[in-house]
Amino acid sequence: MRALVIDDSRAMRRIVSAALEGFGYETRQAGHGQEALDVLQEGYVPDLCTIDWNMPVMDGLQFVSAVRANPAWRALTLMMVTSESEQGQIVRALAAGAHEYVIKPFTADALRDKLALLGMLPEEAVL
Amino acid sequence: MTLAPDAVARPTIPELIDEATVEAIAGEAWVALVGEDEVLVPLPADLPAETLSAWVDVVGPWTGSVVLTTGRQTAADLTRALLGQAAPELLDHEDVADAFGEIANVVGGNVKAALPGPSTLGLPQVGEAPDVRNPADVCRLEVLWRGQPLVVSVQGALPALSTPHPNPPHPNGASL
Amino acid sequence: MTLTATSFDWVRQLVHRESAIVLAPGKEYLVEARLLPIARSMGLPDVGRLVDSVRTRPSPESTRRIVEALTTNETSWFRDGDPFTALTSTVLPSLVSARGPAERLQIWSAACSSGQEPYTIAMLLEDALPNAATRVAITATDLSREMVERTRAGRFSQLEVNRGLPAPMLVRHFTRAGTEWEVSPSLRRMVTASECNLAAPLPRMGPFDVVYLRNVLIYFDLPTKQAILRRVRALMRPDGWLFLGAAETTLGVDDSWERVVIGRSSAYRPLKGN
Repeated sequence: MRALVIDDSRAMRRIVSAALEGFGYETRQAGHGQEALDVLQEGYVPDLCTIDWNMPVMDGLQFVSAVRANPAWRALTLMMVTSESEQGQIVRALAAGAHEYVIKPFTADALRDKLALLGMLPEEAVL
Repeated sequence: MTLAPDAVARPTIPELIDEATVEAIAGEAWVALVGEDEVLVPLPADLPAETLSAWVDVVGPWTGSVVLTTGRQTAADLTRALLGQAAPELLDHEDVADAFGEIANVVGGNVKAALPGPSTLGLPQVGEAPDVRNPADVCRLEVLWRGQPLVVSVQGALPALSTPHPNPPHPNGASL
Repeated sequence: MTLTATSFDWVRQLVHRESAIVLAPGKEYLVEARLLPIARSMGLPDVGRLVDSVRTRPSPESTRRIVEALTTNETSWFRDGDPFTALTSTVLPSLVSARGPAERLQIWSAACSSGQEPYTIAMLLEDALPNAATRVAITATDLSREMVERTRAGRFSQLEVNRGLPAPMLVRHFTRAGTEWEVSPSLRRMVTASECNLAAPLPRMGPFDVVYLRNVLIYFDLPTKQAILRRVRALMRPDGWLFLGAAETTLGVDDSWERVVIGRSSAYRPLKGN
């Protein structure tokens, strides 16, 4: 399975990518929403996007809306991974079309649990 | 500066959050991000001369910044702990700014969620900490990480309110 | 550091035997950090004393606490999701059609820890059953008073709600309270928590339609497992359902149960005439 990790922090991109690779994912990274859209438009369509909320150029919520507006990307699973944790904001992200929401700080176990809920865990990573 | 009429009702941060809450938020961030045995010990100590700050701004019913300040060497150690095996042999300023800024983002996002909302969260900034504008609008937590001092300061961005005056000066009569 | 090399080695072997998880050398700090709260709750000053105490007077409950503290960070909500899928897909429809509309369904979460299991059940029922709060009663028990109090409080940290709780359920059934998340009053009304030692005669409870007794039996010897299953059975309705942990079974322990496969999970039902 393939994942696109979208976060403006390099450190956080590395942490999320390392966890996903540990579960058997192949990963690419983008530093903000527009860069991620460019990657999708190039033809790299992953199974999963992990999406930070607060980013320069295009934030995570705008990215979710842009992806949901394009029927070609309907199969993409969108998972917010962000320190934005007001209840109302989580509701907004889900309403915009995000499938899951992981609040920073998180552990690799938390990512794995959420992927298991979505049926997005490659078989060998199931404990 | 002219204060909005409702500014007098503006709450200060000690009315909204206490040190124990900030400590719980920072503690969870450390355990999850820095390492599962990385504890913050709530003991005060003097910061070294050379410090670095990372902060995020919160704008909403309460407006201010969540600022982390520590010694430059400690910020570099934090960066290595965060990156783990992915840490480059030589850290440059960008690496430290990115990692320390992300820790500020995580702590700041959770502090914001514990305050009355809705509020918006700014992107992390790194450098010299913003000045304290109003000493009464600060919640300051001093901790030790691996024996090194670190300060988490949740501080208002607005200046102190002048004490209510029965006859406020005429708006046009401001002194130069 | 209060942990000697011998004590650390004993803990390593215990965890490996009970969970097949290997604690690498150098993880002494982890053992210290995770076991200190257990030592304190037992009135012991440090982890070294805790290990000495459990080695000289083995107790399945202490063993369970030690292994759980070292093998899980936080309890997950839909831990091994299959027994919960089975509840809504098969068990609940069959019970609803078998019981009268005025009969309250009784569900027992028999080692509830900090409350994730009973509240997971409560959320599923509230989403699946109109007026769930008046039609279902969930009894949550644990040996530890601290865990019972945590279950009663129904408050969970950010890290805890991150563990396997679907985001739509989080925003529907919880509200933020400072840095924590609090379950809704309607869920809390469905759950009654109390202390209960499974290895001793059980208090008057039930009769239960469904029992979740997961990851408990593995810590007990055969005669105790048999006694627990017998006592649990006596508190169940004849057409009730028992869920055990994924690594547990009644087979070869107590033959008065029938194993029923539901999807990817198994349930056990009392055999008639026993």
